[in-house]
Amino acid sequence: MNTVGPSRFICAASLCAASLCAALGGCASEAVSFRSVPAADPAAENAAAAENAAAFAAAASTSDAAGTTEATQAAGETVPITPADAPSMYTYDPWSRLNRFTYRFNARFDEAIFLPAANVYRRLPSPLRTGVHNFFSNLSEVDSIVNYTLQIQFQRSLRSLGRFVINSTIGIGGLIDVAERLKLPGAPTGFSDTLARWGMHPGPYLVIPLLGPSTLRDGVGLLGDFGTTYGINIANLYRGDVSWGLDVADAVDERAHVNFRYYSSGSPFEYENIRFLYVRKRLIEDEGLRAKTKSKGASTTQQENDRNAPAGK
Amino acid sequence: MTAMTRGRAGAAAAASSAWSPAVWIALVMLLLTATRARAEPATLPPAGAGPATGLADSAGLRATVFGTPPQDIASMPDRVPLTEIDIAMPWARPLPPLFWFDRRLRVWLSAQDKPAPLAIVIAGTGSDGNSANLSVLRAALYQAGYHVLTMPSPTFPRFIVAASSTGVAGDLMQDGHDLYAAMQRIIGHLPRKVRITDIDVLGYSLGGANAAIVKSIDANEGKLHIHRAVMINPPVSLFASVGRLDKLFAQSIGSGDEGVERLYRRLYAELANLYVASDRVQVDENFILNAAAAVLKTDADFSAAIALDFRLDLVDMFFAGDLYAGTGVVIDPRHPPTVSDSLAQIQRVLRGMPFSEYFSRVFAPYYLKHRPGATSASLIADNRLDIIGDALRGNPDYYAQTNSNDVILNSRELTWLKDTLGSRIVVYDHGGHLGNLGERRQVADMLDMLGGRWPLAPE
Repeated sequence: MNTVGPSRFICAASLCAASLCAALGGCASEAVSFRSVPAADPAAENAAAAENAAAFAAAASTSDAAGTTEATQAAGETVPITPADAPSMYTYDPWSRLNRFTYRFNARFDEAIFLPAANVYRRLPSPLRTGVHNFFSNLSEVDSIVNYTLQIQFQRSLRSLGRFVINSTIGIGGLIDVAERLKLPGAPTGFSDTLARWGMHPGPYLVIPLLGPSTLRDGVGLLGDFGTTYGINIANLYRGDVSWGLDVADAVDERAHVNFRYYSSGSPFEYENIRFLYVRKRLIEDEGLRAKTKSKGASTTQQENDRNAPAGK
Repeated sequence: MTAMTRGRAGAAAAASSAWSPAVWIALVMLLLTATRARAEPATLPPAGAGPATGLADSAGLRATVFGTPPQDIASMPDRVPLTEIDIAMPWARPLPPLFWFDRRLRVWLSAQDKPAPLAIVIAGTGSDGNSANLSVLRAALYQAGYHVLTMPSPTFPRFIVAASSTGVAGDLMQDGHDLYAAMQRIIGHLPRKVRITDIDVLGYSLGGANAAIVKSIDANEGKLHIHRAVMINPPVSLFASVGRLDKLFAQSIGSGDEGVERLYRRLYAELANLYVASDRVQVDENFILNAAAAVLKTDADFSAAIALDFRLDLVDMFFAGDLYAGTGVVIDPRHPPTVSDSLAQIQRVLRGMPFSEYFSRVFAPYYLKHRPGATSASLIADNRLDIIGDALRGNPDYYAQTNSNDVILNSRELTWLKDTLGSRIVVYDHGGHLGNLGERRQVADMLDMLGGRWPLAPE
């Protein structure tokens, strides 16, 4: 354990220095700059779009039949959500000034360090990247197993367990997602979902340094997920000498999979737009979690009372 | 005037994490573009003759929203190199702190490694120089052997901040001059290994009109020697086109922000119910795709999506214009908001404001002050393609492609285009507004026009 200390210190120090550089020098000051970005692959993109379109067309043609049966099924079990139930268009954001500062910091950090790193990573051969991505997804199954259990969703917990076992063995340590081909697609969850399942509201909007948009509950959930993986410490990956490297690789892989660029909208309202989107996405997911437990019908009256309150409160 | 292309439905990369912004983007696109709004009585004065949907029929509205079906897209290359260029323009207005991230103009270059003609492509209203439509055009042009430079629309916030000499976007001639100056500066800074044999300009939607204007400016100034210009789905009268979109908004969503709020509540409920019924564990792209199929049904839905898409572009342009012109509509010129102030209230007010408000409260006051002898009527007249009508008529190097069911045209405007360009225009019988961009036939015709091989062109 003695060797861990200095290496961590160096990593932490270099991360701090890098962050500082990003914050201070995020906006390059020269008149012209050229940045070679990963080449576009229009042929493959179009093939993927064609696949999407086929799925879309299939959905459109069956949505009438399937949509109504799904809707009636849902109506049988839960109370349908009406427009009056929709949360306010305003979002609860009491820490707005701090959040905006963090958002700007994240934007500069992303532009200066995170995105360039992801772009380098994107130049690696695609099978290699898929392997890395699968590896980290597989590790996250452990957290899903724990949290599905805490949510009393044993079937899903078993599914995650099954995925973890299959992919860790047949899938060579998680490098290949064999379970997906066996019709066991991933369905990740986390501690934030567990909190939501037991009735916790999203709370104030929160922009987390380096990670980005979140809410107070999701931030707590993130700490919970970190604690879970650190506590279980599978294969000593989370407390060993290589943990920092693994964390960085995980972050870069995650970033490379996210098709988002800070301020590519050019809009002065980007902070507002992302906040609106993120919180609505989470609220809709909460509706899904609540619906699975809503046999008491108690929460609906509570919702009516505060429907004019900013969303998330 | 941008189309919600195939990109809107499927561009966001598949993202597995709950932290993925791509999913949020996809969600907001749906929240903001899909609707089941009921018709509201129009509160705006009718804009021009004909219906608010211009020439578009049901198919035209759908094509405009969904874009070109991927299976109809022309064959695409496997690899297109891409260089991102950030470049400062010395004539830009002083940078407001609020726009710190838009200091330099960002354009994209795909260079051939041999001498080749350069195609400069300009995006449509409110779009970036890397929009989904531009990606398709870039790929097609690169494959055909062009260097390709893609530029944002002069109405895109980053262009307004970094490259506009006025800050008040939307004037065809002024935007054309800013674009032309920006092109010269960019080409002047290109690495020497990019060897350019000829320069052509093209653009879609408003970018089409911009491209033609730039060519006409170049004909007078002669700095770039632009050879040919191709307009794809261009407007003929800017203010008539956006007036129709205002009217469409009022009809399909309702006037003001209450309409948007009503639409949002309805959408939220529909999405939430679909989600609850779906047994999914997160709102991801796949869910959004399925939901869109269930939510977008009637002509009114598609109309609302088109109108709202334009309105959201307008909000940014309005904000920037009001800030730069100091007209005080939503921004107190003496105390402009800082980077840490909330803009939610301003955004809410602007969402309710049609283009006619931008014209009468920002655009007209600014240009009447800065252009001696101008009147409201002359400003409107200056924003018609008529201003370069003689060049379009007499010069064989202008071309156009449009559709017989384009949302932004009415029959008189389409007739004007046909009469003016004669054999140098092709009118497709489908596609709405940009709903056939990238299609095999459109791409083949576009390349023939650019290469001087257009069969009916006069010798």
